[in-house]
Amino acid sequence: MAKKVLVVDDSVFMRDIIKDIFAAGGFTVVGEAGNGVEAVEKYKELKPDLVTMDLVMPYRNGIDATREILRGDNKALVVMCSALGQETMVMEAIEAGAVDFIVKPPRAEDVLAVVKKVLGEA
Amino acid sequence: MAGPSWDTSRYLTLFSGEATEHLEALGKDVVSLEKGATVALIDSMFRHAHSVKGMAASMAFEGTAKLAHLLEDLLGTLRADVARSNASVADVILQTVDSLSGHVKAAAANEPLPDSTALMTRLSELNASMTGRPATPTAPSPAPVVETAPPPPKSTSAAPPASNPAAPPRFSVKLKINPASNQPGVRGFLAYKRLGTLGNVFDLKPPLDDIKAGRVPQGTITLELETDQTEDAITRTMRTVADVELESIAAIVKAAPVVAAPAEVDPNRVVGQEPARTIRVRTEVMDQFLDQAGELLLATSRVRELSRGMPAAQRPPLDEAVDRLHLLVKGLHDKVMQARMTPIAVITDRLPRAARDIARRRNRDVDLVITGEDIELDRAIVDELADPVLHLLRNAIDHGLEPTEERTAANKPPKGKVTIAVRRLRDRVVFELSDDGRGIDVERVKVLVVERGLLTRDQVTALTERETLMLVCLPGFSTAADVTDISGRGVGMDAVRRAVEQVGGTLEIETRAGRGTSFRLSLPLTVAVVNLLLVGVGDEVYGLPIGKVSGVVETARDRLAMSQNAPVLQFGQSVLPVHELSALLEVPGDARTAALVPFVVVDGDDGRLALAVDRLLGQQEVVLKGLSKPLDLVPGLAGVTILGNGQPVFILDVARLVTA
Repeated sequence: MAKKVLVVDDSVFMRDIIKDIFAAGGFTVVGEAGNGVEAVEKYKELKPDLVTMDLVMPYRNGIDATREILRGDNKALVVMCSALGQETMVMEAIEAGAVDFIVKPPRAEDVLAVVKKVLGEA
Repeated sequence: MAGPSWDTSRYLTLFSGEATEHLEALGKDVVSLEKGATVALIDSMFRHAHSVKGMAASMAFEGTAKLAHLLEDLLGTLRADVARSNASVADVILQTVDSLSGHVKAAAANEPLPDSTALMTRLSELNASMTGRPATPTAPSPAPVVETAPPPPKSTSAAPPASNPAAPPRFSVKLKINPASNQPGVRGFLAYKRLGTLGNVFDLKPPLDDIKAGRVPQGTITLELETDQTEDAITRTMRTVADVELESIAAIVKAAPVVAAPAEVDPNRVVGQEPARTIRVRTEVMDQFLDQAGELLLATSRVRELSRGMPAAQRPPLDEAVDRLHLLVKGLHDKVMQARMTPIAVITDRLPRAARDIARRRNRDVDLVITGEDIELDRAIVDELADPVLHLLRNAIDHGLEPTEERTAANKPPKGKVTIAVRRLRDRVVFELSDDGRGIDVERVKVLVVERGLLTRDQVTALTERETLMLVCLPGFSTAADVTDISGRGVGMDAVRRAVEQVGGTLEIETRAGRGTSFRLSLPLTVAVVNLLLVGVGDEVYGLPIGKVSGVVETARDRLAMSQNAPVLQFGQSVLPVHELSALLEVPGDARTAALVPFVVVDGDDGRLALAVDRLLGQQEVVLKGLSKPLDLVPGLAGVTILGNGQPVFILDVARLVTA
C-alpha cells in the first residue's frame, strides 16, 4: 500500500511542489498543514507514515511542532525541509527527534531518496 | 545547486500570487517596524522573506532568491537584537521589498529579472556593519551558519572502557558523507546522532563542533561506538541515513587495561571527558521524570487520605508505611529537582558581549561586573529569564547610565557600571541588576502615568515610592523621554515582570536619584512546587498562589463601601476594587446569604484587588502541573494540581483573570 505523507509548509506553492513530487513517487499525500499548530492536529488525526516539516512557520515553528508530534508518538518519522543557511536550526530539529532533512528547493530525486531511506525502503 | 527538475512554468502563477502576498505583508510590517521593533514583528518579516526566498529558489530565479536571502540575513541579525532597528535600516528593507516586487512582476510577465547588484551589496554591507563580520561577497554562496550561543558542555556517561571489563563491545566505524550533499555538516551530525541512539560514541574525528560547522575533510568521519548491538544492526541503522555511507566497520579487540594518566585525556574524545561521572539526558526526559515524580507525590497523598477512612486499629501500621513511602517519594522528587538545576551562567555568559554592543551604539562606556553566576536554578526558570535579563541590561545601559559628559559633570567616574549579583537567600535565589546611573525620577513617573491615562491623579497621589516605581511595569509605559532605538518603545518592563511572576518570582525596583537603580528578582529554586491558598466557590475548589495573596478580610457584602456604583473594600490605608470570583470564573457561587464573606486580597497587574469567595479551605503545598491543550488557552488559569483526595484543582492567574 502506498505510504501516507503529511506535508507541512506555510507556502501553498511549496506544498504543491512537494505534493507533486510525492504523487509522482508513488506516495499518498493524506493531508497538508500551513503551520505548526495545524501540523500537530493533522498528525494526530491522519496518523501518516511520514511528515515533511518546514522549519520557519507562523504560530509554531517546525522544531516545536516536531517535538510535540514526537511527544504524542515517539515513532513518528518527521523529515525537515530546510534551506541553505538553516543548518543550526536543522540540527536543533534533529536533536528534537527529526529523522532526516531535505534541502529546499526540493529536487524530486533527493526528496524521494531521503524519504525511502527513512521508511527503510531503499 | 542544480536547478529544479520539473517544469516550473506550471507554478508561475502560483508563485507570483503567493510571493506578492508575502511582499505586501512584509511591506506592512516595515511600516509597523518604524513604530517600534518587536521580536514578533521581525519574526513575521523573517518568515515572509524566507518564504519568498524558498519559492524563488524553487523557480530557479536565482537573483530573486539571493536578494531575499540577503534580506533574510539582515532580519536574522535584527531578530537577535531588535534594538538595532532604526529608520535607515527600515529604508533599506523597504527598498528591498520594492525591488523584490519588481522581480516577481518581471517573472510573471516572462521578462528578464532586474539587476539588483547594488542593493545586494548594500544589504551585505549593512548586515556586516551590524554583526561586525565582514560582508559576504554577493556571489551566490550558502549563508554562514547562524551563530549560536556556545552549546552546553557535552559530556556523556561512562568511564573509560579500558578500566571497565564489563563495558559493551566497541566498533571502529568509518563514515563517508556524499560529496554532493548540500549540507555535509548536518548530514554528519545526523549520522552521529543516529549512531548515538545505539550506544556511546568515542573518539569522534573530526570533533563534533567541526562536523556541525561543516568542516569534514574528504567527507570522512571516524569514531568508535560502544554498543550492545550487532554489527548488522549498526549497518542497518546507517542504511536509513541518506547521503552517508558506512565505509567500514570493525569490532575492536580489547587491549589489556592500561591506566592512563589523567592529563593524557584525548582532546577529541566526545564523551567521558570529565573526571566527574556525568550522563547526558534529553531535557524532555527530565521533564517527564519530574512529572512522574510529581504524580507519585500526589498518589502518595491520595493513599494517606484514603487511610483516614480505615478502622482505627489498622491505621498505625498503614500510616507508618505511608510515611515511609512519602519520605522515599519526596527524596526521589528532590533528586529529580536537583538533576534539573542549571547554573545561571547559561544566561549571564552572553551579557558582557551584549553590554558592549549596546554601549557602543549609545556611545557609552560601561563596566559589567557579574558575580554568583555559578548559582543554580531549575532549567525551566533559567530558560524563562534569558530575555527579561537582557532587557533589564539594555534598560540599564540605555536609560539608567548617563552620557559620559553628564557623568563627569556630576563628579562620577566617566565609565558607567552595571553590576549583576546573584546569590542564594534561603530557598530563593536573588538576582540583582544595578546601575550607578541617574536613577528613576519618581515624580516624572507619576506625571507620565497620569498623562498616559493609565491612572488618575488621585490614585497616583496615594502611592508610596515603591508602588510608584512598579508603575514602570504597566503595559504601555515608558519613562524614556528620549525614545531610543536601543530600549524599544515602552514594551518590555511589563513583559519582564510577567515572565518573572510566571516562574513564581517577584520583581522589586529601588532607586536613588543621581545614584542609580536596582532591579531585584527574587526567584524560587524550582517551578514545580507552589504554595496555594485553597478557596471554595459553589461546589468548586480553586488555588491562589500564596505569593500573590496579601491578606484576607471577612466582612458582610452589605458593609462594603461603594465607589462609582461598584463595591470597594477597605484594606489598611487603601480602598480596593472587589470582584466576585464566581462571576470571573462564570461558575455558580453559594446563594449570597452568608453573613460574613471572605475577601482575599491579591496582587493584580494594576495593583491590589479583593476577590469574594465562598469559603477558605486552607493552605497547601502542591506540585504544579502545566495545562495541556486546549486548557492552556483559557486565560486566567496558571496550572492544575491534584489534591490528596484525588480532586483536580485549577490554579488561578489572578491578573489575567481580571483583565480577560
